[in-house]
Amino acid sequence: MLEHPVILIAGMAVVTFVPRFFPLLLLSKKEISPSLSRWMSFIPVSIFASLVASDVFFWEGSFNLNPVMNIKLIPSVLVILLALKTRSLLWSMILGVSAISLMWLIV
Amino acid sequence: MRRDTIISGVKASTPIMASYIALGIACGIVLYDAGFTVGQIMMMSLLVYAGAAQFLAASLVVMGASVPSIILMVFFLNLRHVLMSASISSFVKDKSLLYLGIFGHTLSDESFGINYSRFQDKQWHPNEAVVTSLSNYGTWIVSTILGGVIGSQFPINTLIMNYALIAMFLCMMVMQFVSKAHILAAIASVCFTVILTVVLQHNIALVIATVLASCIGYIVENRTGRRKGGNSHA
Repeated sequence: MLEHPVILIAGMAVVTFVPRFFPLLLLSKKEISPSLSRWMSFIPVSIFASLVASDVFFWEGSFNLNPVMNIKLIPSVLVILLALKTRSLLWSMILGVSAISLMWLIV
Repeated sequence: MRRDTIISGVKASTPIMASYIALGIACGIVLYDAGFTVGQIMMMSLLVYAGAAQFLAASLVVMGASVPSIILMVFFLNLRHVLMSASISSFVKDKSLLYLGIFGHTLSDESFGINYSRFQDKQWHPNEAVVTSLSNYGTWIVSTILGGVIGSQFPINTLIMNYALIAMFLCMMVMQFVSKAHILAAIASVCFTVILTVVLQHNIALVIATVLASCIGYIVENRTGRRKGGNSHA
């Protein structure tokens, strides 16, 4: 499943360090272009939505919107509601895991 | 460095340490579950040190994504740090290259959040800031290793563990809902991801969907005027 863990970790280290370090070094006086920074503000939300969508809407490899077969759908709605209210990663995880376990036992 | 500098730096870090212990253990478990050894988990926390990126890597490895596409997604995810690093740079501009290297490497979302607000609010010395960052960093490393060890000792239901990740990404997504345009970008990203995944049958769909949805969010925000929104710091 995991082919080149060392290359993966090294690559991740580089692409994490560069955006954290270089602005600190170079941008203490200059400003980033406001359009670029506004475009970048949309990237995390898009990534998380994409990651979630690629998992939640698929069951056994195919697109599935049936909440009885695809047991990830109902817990996801619950987690979104809780996250909107609490914004807590930990509580979202706890609710998500409990809900999916319950679905798994029932279905 | 003075003793009280270290004490006040560590003190500032305590609420973050508590959440890093819980999330770090979870992260270690999912990374172990994805096929990383405890040693690799330690190296990753030490060298990468980015919670969201490490969870992302675990998830993409499980999906069978290639190494370059995982690195590309991690890069996109980390672009938000450009904004944080740039905005905190004015507080540490006279520091040495070594200081900036350490401060930059340990600039997680949470370290940024706590240090930036303290720099703005009151007298916060760059040394206190780096102590806070380093104690967050140490906590994360130890917790992920612990998670890896726990993962290696107990069999874990993969459906449920994998869903713990999804629940976390859902919450991270919701935390980014700072304007209507951001919510729209999320919806667009969901639609693009589903369509492209069905059509392409390849997880490059995630990269394309992310870039397209960010552009849509940006265009919509431009059309509807700038106002509030715009603040990306989660």
